Amino acid sequence: MTNFKINFRENSDVQIIDLKGYLDAHTAPEFENAIQQIINNKQYKIIVNCKNLSYISSAGLGVFMAYIEEVRKNKGDIKITNASPKIYNVFDILGFPMLYEITKTEEDALKKFSRRI
Amino acid sequence: MNFNFLHRFGKIFYLITGFTLFLVGLILDVISKNVGPVFAQVDLIKIGAFVPFYFYIQSYWKRESVPLKRLTAILILGTIVLGISLLLTVAIGIEFEFKASSLIPNNYSTIFISNALAVIIGVAAILFILLLRDILIYKPRRYTKRNFIILVLALLATTFSAINLNPYESRLVTTILFGIFVLLILINSFRMPWIVFLKKREKVLTIVFTFSTLVIFTALILIYQNNSAAGKSILYFSHSLKYFIDGVFLLILLYSLIAFLSTIFHLPTSDTFDRKMSEVASLHNLSKLVTQVLDFNELVESVTSMTLQVCEAKSSWLEIIQPSDKLRNLKSEQSNISVAAQKNISVQDINRINLSSPITLRSSVINDRKPVMIDDFKSDSRTKHLNGLDTKIGSILAVPLIARNELVGILYATMEAEYGFDREDLELISAFADQAAVAVDNSRLIEKSFERERLMREMNLAQEMQKRLLPQTLPSIEHIEFEAFSSPAFEVGGDYYDFMMIDDKHLAIVIGDVSGKGVSAAFYMAEMKGIFQSLCKIYPSPKDFLIKANQAISSSIDKRTFISLIYAVLNLETGLLTSARAGHCPFILAKESDVSFVRPNGIGLGMGNSELFAKYIQESQTHLNSGDTLIFYTDGITEAHTKEGDEFGYSRLLDAIKNNRNKSAIDIRDAIISSVNEYMQNQPPHDDLTLIILKWLRN
Repeated sequence: MTNFKINFRENSDVQIIDLKGYLDAHTAPEFENAIQQIINNKQYKIIVNCKNLSYISSAGLGVFMAYIEEVRKNKGDIKITNASPKIYNVFDILGFPMLYEITKTEEDALKKFSRRI
Repeated sequence: MNFNFLHRFGKIFYLITGFTLFLVGLILDVISKNVGPVFAQVDLIKIGAFVPFYFYIQSYWKRESVPLKRLTAILILGTIVLGISLLLTVAIGIEFEFKASSLIPNNYSTIFISNALAVIIGVAAILFILLLRDILIYKPRRYTKRNFIILVLALLATTFSAINLNPYESRLVTTILFGIFVLLILINSFRMPWIVFLKKREKVLTIVFTFSTLVIFTALILIYQNNSAAGKSILYFSHSLKYFIDGVFLLILLYSLIAFLSTIFHLPTSDTFDRKMSEVASLHNLSKLVTQVLDFNELVESVTSMTLQVCEAKSSWLEIIQPSDKLRNLKSEQSNISVAAQKNISVQDINRINLSSPITLRSSVINDRKPVMIDDFKSDSRTKHLNGLDTKIGSILAVPLIARNELVGILYATMEAEYGFDREDLELISAFADQAAVAVDNSRLIEKSFERERLMREMNLAQEMQKRLLPQTLPSIEHIEFEAFSSPAFEVGGDYYDFMMIDDKHLAIVIGDVSGKGVSAAFYMAEMKGIFQSLCKIYPSPKDFLIKANQAISSSIDKRTFISLIYAVLNLETGLLTSARAGHCPFILAKESDVSFVRPNGIGLGMGNSELFAKYIQESQTHLNSGDTLIFYTDGITEAHTKEGDEFGYSRLLDAIKNNRNKSAIDIRDAIISSVNEYMQNQPPHDDLTLIILKWLRN
């Protein structure tokens, strides 16, 4: 059950993180390391693709909150895409859509990044 | 008369008897010079005088277990005896006449001197035997004592077989017995295990002492030849005694000769032996050390200093590998390694040795998990680039510390000379490293169990705190049925609920969930409770309350942590329910016509921007009629899941309420809980479950 995988991709200057499996208190540090590494490389445009994410706990949600301030200060953003209805509901209940850009597809998110520039 | 007196009297009695017999012998000698032989068995009296002397000495004898001390005593006594013999025979002078196959003294002083000399020599011979006995039975084997007793018996047999034998005559039986005795000396003399255990300095001392003893006893034998003055004195006194002292002198002579020779033979190996002894001692110390693992620093200090002792190394240091953290990258043991203790070498030198090239001693030990020995530090490819170190290194040894198949550290030792370490050093340090590894491992296990205990205590504390933060009693209101259920998971979660009468007719209800677990969750719960109790009377509007609560909590909360909350105020007279939601699971309103989620907009507390929070938060109002039921809960209910990970979810919750909404609050509560448990197939819950049921019973 603790199957969790992170994959990195890059599209022009946008870093894409694919999350797969269970993002809970045990796996959240991996996700946190992933975002930290991207920020260490001075990249601040991040898309988190939740297509294969099957569960997210409050610890997982906390990771987004930990970095959003720093990313936005550097004129970047963390955008969330491809969340399943169940995952979207978790985001929604907590009020994430009011704080983060959550799009249906990755293309939408990429477009929003390029539009801003 | 007490026993002690008897004992002491017994000893004096031996002395008196001995001297009496000796005096009788002397008187008989004087008489026979004047009158001629009067008593045939005078020899028996003379020899017999030594028996009580022996018992007297024996009663004061204490065994000495250091052979070298006994050897010294023999040497000193031998010198004294030699001095006395020379003094009495040469300085004063004695004269005998040989007549009718016996020695006739020319004057009375000769009688006195030879008697005195005989007693002194005889007693000294007894002392020599006793002294030598202590040396011979050092570390006795099975037959050691027996062999020595046979040797003494052979000497006594020789002595007694020569009773009444005239001077210069011989008896066949005496000669045979003496021959056997000499043979037995040889058998006994080759037993000298004490020499092996001597330190080098002591061996040198032994060589000097045995050689001196050799010289002294050769001199004694020469002085006591049959034809010399001293020899004649003894022969005149008793031929038996002559055999006895000849036997003893020969015994000491042969023994010291063999001891001298074998010490010389052992001398070249004594350095090795000394080292072996100190190695054994060090290993023994280390095995004691294994039990003293409570202080890790002390342990590593001892390991390095003992390494210096064990192989006489110039410098030594110990590197410890921390167990790799599985959440972090498993990249390398190299990054978790650190110098725990060093002796006679600086950390800078150690770092240069370990970090100056891609293939180092450290990396080879880590990769192969085998000891690495570099015989010539200056020319070996792994180390030849390392010049200008503060420490002079000719050869170096690195040994892995392996405990339970894990590499826990590396032990290094250096010598100034090239080819300083031999194969034995390698084996020894390896054995040493094994012991050290066990000690390090044990030390860590102990630390881990302390840490686990600390966590357990912390968890118990948090659980206790959480329990106390929840209301101990439910509000009791005539037309409302109240039920609450809260079940903490194995780990402490952050579920929180509370009630408070704002004024006579308004009841405030709060339910929330702090993200995170353990003490930090319990801490934020406590803070939330404080905020609730202080703000609920000031801000009667749920929206205002949550905005203020968010401001209050945001200043202290960790960036990763948030609190989801529902705050509702119920007018107990009108049944008007005003609520606002800060990111919490929407509550359920079960009416006659419909069961629905109440879900006004709102962001979780502590999630950042206060302006956005205030901007988005909404308030919802609803009117309760008789039979209407409110169900508040935390995500422990909706996220309860099966082994396969399928969640209970919102629709099953809704169904459970629909099917039971006309029942009492307590029955609705039980129905929901049993429905969740059934779904989870009685697995233990992985998160806190909290449920509040409120049934309005007035129109």
